[in-house]
Parts: sequence; structure tokens; C-alpha cells
Amino acid sequence: MRIGIVLPEVPGYSETFFNSKIKGLQESGHYIIVFSNKKARNKFSYEVKSSYPVFEKKSFKQSGLFAVVLIKTFIKNPAITVNLIRLESKTGKSFSESLKSVYINSHILSGKLDRIHFGFTTMILKRENVAKAIGAKMSISFRGYDINVFPLKNKDCYKNLWRKVDKVHTISDYLYRKALSLGLPKEVEFQKITPAIDISSFKVKDEIGKINKKIKILTVGRLNWIKDYETSISAMKILNERGIDFTYNIIGEGAELERLTFAVYQSGLQDKVNFLGKKEHKEINEYMRESDIYLQPSMQEGFCVSVLEAQATGLQCIVSDAEGLKENVIDGVTGWVVKRRSPEKFAEKITEVINLPDHKRKETAMNARKRVETEFTIEGQKKKFNKFFTE
Amino acid sequence: MKIAVYSGNIPSTTFIENLIEGLCNSGFEILLFGKQTQNVSYSGNVKAYPTPVNNLKLVFFVIKESVKLFFKDSKLFFKFHKTVREKNKSLKSFFKNAGVLLPVLNNKPDIFHIQWAKTVEMYPELFELFDCKVALSLRGAHINYSPLLDKNLAEAYRKNFPSIDGFHAVSNAIAAEAMKYGADEKKIKVIHSSVKDELFEKYAELFRGDTKLEIISVGRFHWKKGYHYALDAMKILADKGISFNYTIVAQGVIPEEILFLLDEYRLGEKVRIIQGLKHEELIMKLQSSHLLLLPSVEEGIANVVLEAMAVGVPVITTDCGGMSEVVEDNNNGYTVSVRDPETIAAKVIQFIGTEFNAKKDLALKGKQTIEKEFTREKQIREFTDFYESILKNN
Repeated sequence: MRIGIVLPEVPGYSETFFNSKIKGLQESGHYIIVFSNKKARNKFSYEVKSSYPVFEKKSFKQSGLFAVVLIKTFIKNPAITVNLIRLESKTGKSFSESLKSVYINSHILSGKLDRIHFGFTTMILKRENVAKAIGAKMSISFRGYDINVFPLKNKDCYKNLWRKVDKVHTISDYLYRKALSLGLPKEVEFQKITPAIDISSFKVKDEIGKINKKIKILTVGRLNWIKDYETSISAMKILNERGIDFTYNIIGEGAELERLTFAVYQSGLQDKVNFLGKKEHKEINEYMRESDIYLQPSMQEGFCVSVLEAQATGLQCIVSDAEGLKENVIDGVTGWVVKRRSPEKFAEKITEVINLPDHKRKETAMNARKRVETEFTIEGQKKKFNKFFTE
Repeated sequence: MKIAVYSGNIPSTTFIENLIEGLCNSGFEILLFGKQTQNVSYSGNVKAYPTPVNNLKLVFFVIKESVKLFFKDSKLFFKFHKTVREKNKSLKSFFKNAGVLLPVLNNKPDIFHIQWAKTVEMYPELFELFDCKVALSLRGAHINYSPLLDKNLAEAYRKNFPSIDGFHAVSNAIAAEAMKYGADEKKIKVIHSSVKDELFEKYAELFRGDTKLEIISVGRFHWKKGYHYALDAMKILADKGISFNYTIVAQGVIPEEILFLLDEYRLGEKVRIIQGLKHEELIMKLQSSHLLLLPSVEEGIANVVLEAMAVGVPVITTDCGGMSEVVEDNNNGYTVSVRDPETIAAKVIQFIGTEFNAKKDLALKGKQTIEKEFTREKQIREFTDFYESILKNN
């Protein structure tokens, strides 16, 4: 089977999720083409095709390229091109808009695909009719941002899409439920495939269950509002007032650094909270191995790979009750789930975990590691993806 | 006395424009420098000396102003030329720098008043080139959080603050912050902002409304305004079955975070967002609310709180920045800690349970506070003293 996967860019080495998925499909004999919006520099084990550029400003260069691409696409695939223009006009687009659609999708049209998969739901916008035009089945993946945030700013953005999708991949039950509430018909087939991690590359920490005298707390993730670091920083303020000795490290970069730096300053925690910036995969594992408690205070999450990694490393994981996280951590078994946006609850839970006997903490960490080893393996994920594409 | 006001742009923000008007009315000669972003005409003692933005115009402008300076004071011209050439390696930066400095040198103000601390680095030559006193205003983010992350800025403050002749702080809180960057306490004068006199005439008896509690917040969408905490508080109120409307008067795109929380908390009908209002409409809107809420995590002193109090609207404000220099909890309004939605909700509930006469008393005390401490007349008098003391001290 020829499978096309549409992504914003070719996955980097650290993006296990996409890489292992592609590898697994190749191993079962499928031919894979990755369609990317950016030009790829390296060589890959699969074919890569990039879209033609869309310039910010109207220019002579753009018009010329536009004309050439349209003619080229038409000569190569006359039937498909006409199909796409017809389908676009049917959905109410003007002729020139339909031509634009041919331009932005021309790299996909010649792929002779049996199946086309969109790695992010937002990737499909302006490409709703491509699958039908080329006679391929269409499937999509739901990611947190696609379902949790994007539709808030763009009401009914997926309305035209839902009826055209043949199959849906969701990373959590929650995202699927949320998509239903956004109008996804119940009849559309879906499969849940959670993220997975390569457990062999996550070394467990030494002496699981023991904690440092000065407690080391860690969170990994972009500095974005949805991660709600203000809540964890406020929780640290409470711990500090209660005389608990700790350091809190935050790994990640992003737009909210100034806001969070101020929150730390205002809470009088400059000596206790550190923003470490972006770190490589290996370094993250090292930081995790040295830490005692992993926090994930997010307002919402699709699933959250970092929490899986922390569980694999043997950390005590305390996460918010964001829907995706509730599926990631089993409260009281593999970690703890507390009310989101509640610094008081986070502080209480951290105190509680610090006061547990070593063997209790060890038990939780072992449960977590075991669950990751059995339920979130790359092998399992590959199998599920094969099933997703073939059945 | 010639006072140069530098705020980067001509015209400047509302409160700086108000200040210009006030100073001009009490006999100061005001010179404005900066980029002209809109056409404005000033009357009487205010003169604008805008620097062109367009490159070609800038070159002509620099040549014209250079000739002027040469004939006026050739010694100063050579001194200026040498300093600016040494500082700027590229021709482009030379012209930019010269375009900003020349009109100031040609018009020799007695005091050069920099409105925004971040621009303090643009003018160190002034201190050397001619005998001009430099005043600096300490406002909001420029002092409270920008230098926390921007180490170069913090360094620039430490380097330049000692050569400033006088600091104007908008609150005691910000004065204390600025001292951490080397501002000399003896050179700082706290001058609170003010409201226009005509607002006091608009003072009205407490809004009775019908049944629903009307809460309002005013201010652009920015994390420092703390709207996410306000929505947390509204969620607590909604869960307790309290019937209310919450209106946010703001400008610009509604941030993802706010849209997300509105959806998450299902506050849809209870919360309304109004995109900007003219000042008069705003005052009317304030007066048809029971409560003004300021959920900010950072402020100098928020003008909207002063205005609400002046026209008789009870306020709940966080104690951020200089806010507790205005509002005393349970006396002329209510204060809460920053980042504390539980307490905001508790204060709203306390307000609901307060007897009408006690509320009226609180609103009246609010107005009296503003009449006593935050009038235009007092502000201008204090600025006069401020400038005079700067000139006298050397």
C-alpha cells in the first residue's frame, strides 16, 4: 500500500512518535511518502516531498511559480486536477480559490496514494478535498492543540472536514470525546493509540523511592500558558512558606519566560526555581534521574510524553487532572492526580509524597515503570499503527 | 523653565499627554522630542521637535540641524560630532543617533525628562555634551519585571542611574524596586498620578442595578492584568450559585488562554468582552457596575481604579505595585493578594452581604481619597517642586 503522511515538517530524530510509526509501516511492506511544508535537508529512509512555497507578499515570482506549477500539475495528472477543482467549487469556493488549492496541494496529487494521513488535524485545513480527488482513503491524528485550542479561535473550523474523514487516530479517550462534542460523527471509525517511549533509552534512577534531603522537583515542557507553570510556582511559594527545602527545575523554552520569571521573583523564589532552557533528550533523562518529584500542572493535555518519561525513570509523578493526564497517570497507583489550577492541592500532595515511607514511594514508581513497559512500548505502538492503516 | 519630554513617540500615551497639558498650563515651556506617529498640534508653550522616520528625510534633517548647531555653538558642534562618531561605527546608526540628539542640543532644555526607563541608554551623551539635568520616570513593567529577564537592561540601569539627577516614581513600591538598580533614594520623588477634575462632578450614588451583580474590569489583554485569575474567581462564584455578570473592557485579540478558560469554565453567558470604549462611555459603563475588579499581578498605580473611585464605584484590587497606596482594605475599597482567586471570590461575597449604607460609605471614602491625594493640581504642584529641586541641587 502507498501511504502518504502530511506533516508540517519532516520529523526530527527525537520525534519517536512519528519515526517509529513510519518505520513500523515500512517494515510491514508499505511504501511511505512524507509530505512536508518545509524543504528537508537530510536523507531519509522514506520519500519526502515538499509543498511549493507560499510567499507572504504578492510578487512576480509567486505568480510565475503559480502558473508553472498549475500547468505542470495539469499535464501530469489532468483527471485528478480537474477532480480537485470540481470538488472545491462544489464546496462553494471560487474558481481562483480552487486553483490555489491545486497549487498548495500539487506535491500530494501525484503520489498515487491509497491512503493519506494527516499527522495533525490542523494540517488538513485547505486540504479537505485532496483525498477524494486522488481516490485515496483519508485519516487524521488528533493532537492536544488541534482539539483543545485551535477550535476556540476558529469556530466550526472542522465542520467541512468531519464528513470526509474515513478514520481517526486519537492519543487519548478524552480527545476523542472532545472531538465528538465538536461535531465528529459517531459513525466515523476511530482508534486510540497513545504515545509511546523507547524504554531502553530511559535509564531508571538509582535507589528508587529514596528522596534527597533537599527535594528536587522537575517539570519538562514548553513555556506556554497551557502548561500553567504559574500554578506550580505558586505551589512552590506555599512549600517555601511551610519551611520545606527544595529546588524546582523547569526545562523548556517559550513565550512565557518573562511572565514566569516575574512570578518567581514576586513569590520570592529566585534561589529555588531555575529555568534551564531547552535540553537534549539525554540530558533530560539525566535531570530526571537526579530528581525526586515530577510535576505536570497543565490546564489541559492531549496525553503528555514527558510524564511517561518521568514514570519510566522512576520519579514520583504529580499531575493535574487535565483530561489527558488522568489517562496517563493512575491516581494512587502510578502517581498522583490533583485538581488543576490549584497551588494549594499541589503543595499538599507534594508534602504528602515527601512524608511517605521509602517503600511506598518505591511501590508507586515501580508500578509506573511497569505500566510504561507494558502499555506504552514502541513495539506495541507500531503494531497498533499497522492495524490502523490496514484494517 | 524649559522641560524636554522624551517618550519615544509624539503623541505619547494618554497619561503623559495629560501631564504635558498640566505642566504647560502652569507656565512651563515644554519641548517634545521623539518620532512623530500622528499629526498633532500643540498650543501655547508646547513645541514638538519630531525626528523623521524616513531615511532620506532623516539625512536632510541631520544636515539641517547640524548647520544650525554649527552657527549657534561651533564648539558644541565639534564636541557633538566627535562623541557621536566615536560611539557609532556604521553610518546608519550615526544618523539615527544624531537625529535624536541634535534637536535637543539646538534647543537646550533645562531639564531633559525621560519618560520610559528602557530608553535611558539612548542619551548618555547628553550628560557629557552640555549642562542639562536629566530626570527619569519610573513606571510599571520597565522597572518591575523587564530587567529581571533582560540582564543587559539591568546592567544599563546600574550604569546610568547614578548619573540621573532626579527620579519620578509613580508609587512608593516602584521607588523601592528602582533602588535595587542603584537609584539614589534621596533623588527619588514619589508623585502619584491623577484624575481629571471633571470626573469628581460625575460622582454618583451607588449603582443599584436590579438583581444581578455587575462586575467590571478594564485594561488591555496582557498576562500582567491577571484576567486568568479573575476567571478562576468567577468560576468559584458561579459554582456557589451566585448570579452575576462579568464584563471585561479590553483591546485587541482575545488571548488563547482566556478563550480556553471561558470554554473550560462554561462561563459563556456570564462573561462579556467589550472591545475598547471611549473615555466617556467607559465612565458610564463603570457607573452602571456594582464593582470594579483589578486582578493584576503587576501595576504602577492603575488609573482605572483611581477613576472608578472618583466617580463612586467600589473597587476590589490586588495589592500589586502601588495599589495599596491607594486602597485600604475594607475602608475605601477592598484589597486582595496577587494570584489569589479564592480571596477575590470571598471579597465579592462579602460585598454582596454588606448593607447598602456601608457600601455607600465605602464608595464615598474612595472618592475622598482621590480628591485628597490624586488630583491634577497636586500632581502638577509636585512636579514643579521636583523640577525646581533638581535645578537647585547642583
